[in-house]
Amino acid sequence: MISVYWKPVYRFIRLKFGKNNEDAKDLTQGFFATALERDLIKRFDPEKASFRTYLRMAVECFAANQHAAANRQKRGGGIEFETIVEQAVSAESPEQVFEREWQRQLSCLAIDDLRAHSEECGKQLQFQVFQAYDLAEGERPSYADLARQFSIPETSVTNCLAWARRMFRGFVTERVRGTTATRRELRDEMRRVWN
Amino acid sequence: MELSDSALDHLRRVVALPDLSGTRYELESEIGRGGMGVVYAARDRVLGRRVALKVLDITPLGEARLIAGLEHPAIVPVYEAGTLPDGREFYAMKLIKGARLDHYVGGQPTLAERLRVIWRVGEALAYAHSHGILHRDLKPQNVMVGEFGEVYLMDWGVDAIAGTPAFRAPEAVLDRRSDIYALGALLRFLLRDPKPPALAAIAIKAMNMDPAGRYSEVTALLADLERFEQRLPVEAWPEPLWHRLYRFASRNAVLLWLLAAYTLVKFLIFFLRKF
Repeated sequence: MISVYWKPVYRFIRLKFGKNNEDAKDLTQGFFATALERDLIKRFDPEKASFRTYLRMAVECFAANQHAAANRQKRGGGIEFETIVEQAVSAESPEQVFEREWQRQLSCLAIDDLRAHSEECGKQLQFQVFQAYDLAEGERPSYADLARQFSIPETSVTNCLAWARRMFRGFVTERVRGTTATRRELRDEMRRVWN
Repeated sequence: MELSDSALDHLRRVVALPDLSGTRYELESEIGRGGMGVVYAARDRVLGRRVALKVLDITPLGEARLIAGLEHPAIVPVYEAGTLPDGREFYAMKLIKGARLDHYVGGQPTLAERLRVIWRVGEALAYAHSHGILHRDLKPQNVMVGEFGEVYLMDWGVDAIAGTPAFRAPEAVLDRRSDIYALGALLRFLLRDPKPPALAAIAIKAMNMDPAGRYSEVTALLADLERFEQRLPVEAWPEPLWHRLYRFASRNAVLLWLLAAYTLVKFLIFFLRKF
């Protein structure tokens, strides 16, 4: 759960509360420590919302309380400093950023799973083709370029990509399954990942 | 590892597409999203025809099995069901050329055409109910009107808490009367101002918050619609006297005109003889 949600929570806190890198990290750490300490996960009711929504609301509540406490402390000192908000300019709301980071983190973890799996079963070539094409930054090479680069026929490029994408999808599903309580929640979350 | 926004978008796009390798189908384009998955237009290479391919998110093939067992002109026939290489389940069905009901009404169909849609939907529902099957998610987006006016009822809901708010009955546990509620909501959706009071009353009765206050069967609702079309009093509406007279006059217009003409001629003859 922490591996999937650490980054989304961190980015959400940064954007929603205008925290700098260090404060956001501290708050993220504090949130997960409190969540574990207070058995936050056990209090989750899948009938009411998805775990992702529940967690985002819990983060918002936790960070808002911490933020208010920090402001009270400042006012108690008699001098109020204007906070300089270090915040990336974004057209997306903190909630949208949270969701996007969640998709990104799930994908990153699934790519790690895929890499490990392809090494285990001797399918490094498939992973390399996938990496060269689907994970390429900027312009993607053509299938013909990839065929030349890896000395394989073009049809094998298609097969390598089909295998890697299939496995990747499976690993994402497994990661989502690990953070959902019901089949319906899993289905809804899968739709949020892909649609 | 880090994944840029553009790489993430690409990955999500390509991985969401169904993996049709090893199947007889060739992907053409996405044509819609239903309650359970995404529908694509695809080409069946073996039979050389276009089909609609519904790829389910993660749910089992309940819907396919459900509708494969129903043979009705308003229920889309299922050709094949199976599992894709990526693990998702799919089923192929007839590709309907036409418009979704919410788009169809934009073409300003006549009242008779709109009522015909309700009739066809109602008949399909009644047939499914007679086989113990509920639709659960009846709404304009799930009704297709084909090129030749044929009507199809799509997206049979198998989820216990399916439904779309404006068309979903308020009760938690759905039964046949919940589908009747949705059919009433569909009728209301199709009515334009000024609404014929008898039709509005049929929709209101079907949409009664208390299931016991609704029609007990779809066929009872259809019977009321038939009475409306035949200009007879409908069960859902205690008709006022003026409307009864108006309806009597409109049903017997020819007779009344003949009677009026006869009276006028008699009257003229009477006067001509007198003077």
